Amino acid sequence: MTVMQRIGLILSGMLFVTSGALAADAAHGKKLFEECAACHSLERGVHTVGPSLNGMFERKAGELAEFRYSPAMKKSALPWSARTLDIFLADPQQEIRGNRMPYSGMAEARDRADLIEYLQAATK
Amino acid sequence: MTTKLKEVDVLLVGLGWTGGILAKELTAAGHKVVALERGGMRSTENDFAVPRIRDDLRFGSRNDLMQNPAKDTLTIRNNPSQLALPMRRLGSFLPGEGVGGAGVHWNGVTWRWNDNELKVRSLYEERYGKNYIPADMTIQDWGITYAELEPYYEKFERTAGVSGKAGNLRGTIQQGGNPFEAPRASEYPLPPLESSYASELFNKTATELGHHPFPCPTANASRAYTNPDGSKFGACQYCGFCERFGCEANAKGSPHMTVIPIAMKNANFELRTHSWVTKVLKDSSGKRVTGVTYTNVMNGQEFEQPAGLVVLCAYAINNVHLMLLSGIGKPYDPVAQTGVIGKNYCYQTGASANLFFEGKYFNPFMGTGGLNARTDDFHSNWDFDRSKYGYVGGATLGAGMTNGRPLGYRPVPAGTPRWGKAWKDATAKWYNSAMNINASGAVMANRYNYYDLDPTYRNAFGQPLMRMTFASKENEHKMGRQIAAVINEIAKAMNPTHLNPASARSGSWSVVPYQSTHNTGGTIMGANPGNSAVNKFCQSWDCHNLFIMGASVFPHNSAYNPTGPVGALAYRAADTLKNVYLKNPAPLVSA
Repeated sequence: MTVMQRIGLILSGMLFVTSGALAADAAHGKKLFEECAACHSLERGVHTVGPSLNGMFERKAGELAEFRYSPAMKKSALPWSARTLDIFLADPQQEIRGNRMPYSGMAEARDRADLIEYLQAATK
Repeated sequence: MTTKLKEVDVLLVGLGWTGGILAKELTAAGHKVVALERGGMRSTENDFAVPRIRDDLRFGSRNDLMQNPAKDTLTIRNNPSQLALPMRRLGSFLPGEGVGGAGVHWNGVTWRWNDNELKVRSLYEERYGKNYIPADMTIQDWGITYAELEPYYEKFERTAGVSGKAGNLRGTIQQGGNPFEAPRASEYPLPPLESSYASELFNKTATELGHHPFPCPTANASRAYTNPDGSKFGACQYCGFCERFGCEANAKGSPHMTVIPIAMKNANFELRTHSWVTKVLKDSSGKRVTGVTYTNVMNGQEFEQPAGLVVLCAYAINNVHLMLLSGIGKPYDPVAQTGVIGKNYCYQTGASANLFFEGKYFNPFMGTGGLNARTDDFHSNWDFDRSKYGYVGGATLGAGMTNGRPLGYRPVPAGTPRWGKAWKDATAKWYNSAMNINASGAVMANRYNYYDLDPTYRNAFGQPLMRMTFASKENEHKMGRQIAAVINEIAKAMNPTHLNPASARSGSWSVVPYQSTHNTGGTIMGANPGNSAVNKFCQSWDCHNLFIMGASVFPHNSAYNPTGPVGALAYRAADTLKNVYLKNPAPLVSA
């Protein structure tokens, strides 16, 4: 199943990441970001092991010219949104096979929602 | 032609763990520091990204992160009557090269060596009598105690992000930790890693047989972590590419992602890579060093770099080599038993069994450098009566899953052909159904195990190679026999389908198969200049503005891996330099 098919499935099932009953907790998300911070900066233009996440929700995967992405990440050209990021983070190698991010995934949907809530503000 | 450069305050030779720690600490204190590193720059993003870092052929078999023996190597022999020959390919040990040094390609295992080591001679004499230690076993007290090192062990563990479980907090034994460890002021900075199935099976049987297994303390981050300096660690992904590789996830505590980048942000610090130091220079009195000479290996240009303080931070073997090449201190003579430079070279020993279980699956592709359950019952346990076996020292033993590399990890039952269809069938069948129980054993110093300069062979710079004279002695063989029997007792009780039993190493030693990169001694520390090259602050007795870091200052070797005390001694030296020596340069211990 491609990413876009998955997103379609999620949309049709109305399984939204954040619902009123489960308001995402950005403070918890900030703490969870520690799992990402060894490789991803939030500062504009500061690329380390991974690309800077600054402005990521206005980008497609693999878009920054100055970062050396894996061919898999470039080819995916996945537009980043709360939904696509949620799917990606659940199992990065499942969604974009062959990408180079050394991270096995964040299993809990609730954790991902909190992290994404944090990132939506922190990457602006 | 040699170009003479402007004098600098502090000159570091080598930029791995110890150079990185000193660079960070001394530049923060306002000192101008230059580091000369003979290898190249290294960073996680440029050098260790997947998939290229998981190249077992390039890094595992061809040692791409290591010293190139075509440029500089050692000559090797087992005893002084033999002709030593150059080691033309790396084998038994793997000295690193490049920024980060061996701290890049280590597994992460971080122990706190305790007074059993630091006061080895006095404790053994007290307990077993003056005649227990053989005459040719040249062990000595280090001149430092565990209590003096404790805060620096803690500091290093926090910098490197060590995962573990305390077994002794301020004298109270803790459930789940090592009950034989020396008292700790605090818990490990990170909880233990997820256990492996191999460790679980070992734990169960070893506990039933009266041993005390615990999770091995190791700088593989069990979860994301930010160290006290603000360096960020990712969580270990259990890929198993630790030893011989750099970590792609910044999950293995390494100097290139902790102390070194902090130093590099400081304007007081300058790093010159590809700068091979050939000699430490002395003044006419011979009581002070004045700097070093080095060669830019990219273009052959030679430089003299004057410095107020020189610190040798290279790999243990290379620190000793540089002392001998520079004529600082008196070279050791095993016949006359005079001199100290080159004295007490030590190594490690061990024994290991492979267990094969039909129908059990160990998933060796999920592992990490220090993912081990270990026991200290025959090592730091001082109640263990060595006199029954007649040896000094001890061995830790344990089991886990540290890697399942495609080329490097191919366990097959004894008797399997070494190639061909039968080997292929066996390796496919047993790759996922084998585990190992291993022991790491101490090596005590011996009069005839030492370094000196080779009279025949020279390196790429025309300098004499270092000559290593080493053989395992009866002490190691006695230990090996006892510990192999313990391994086999546990292994048999685990009831494997096939067992390749452990056997004690016998004979002298071969440089060919890989054994351990834990080479110690040669510029040893001690209480007086008659028996040591450096004092307890790692300061040279001969030249007070020369300090030596790393495992070459260890007067003997332990069963424990060396990086814990290497880091602790570097942090202690940094404090001494900042707070005492650089304010008033003078000998810190009067001879």
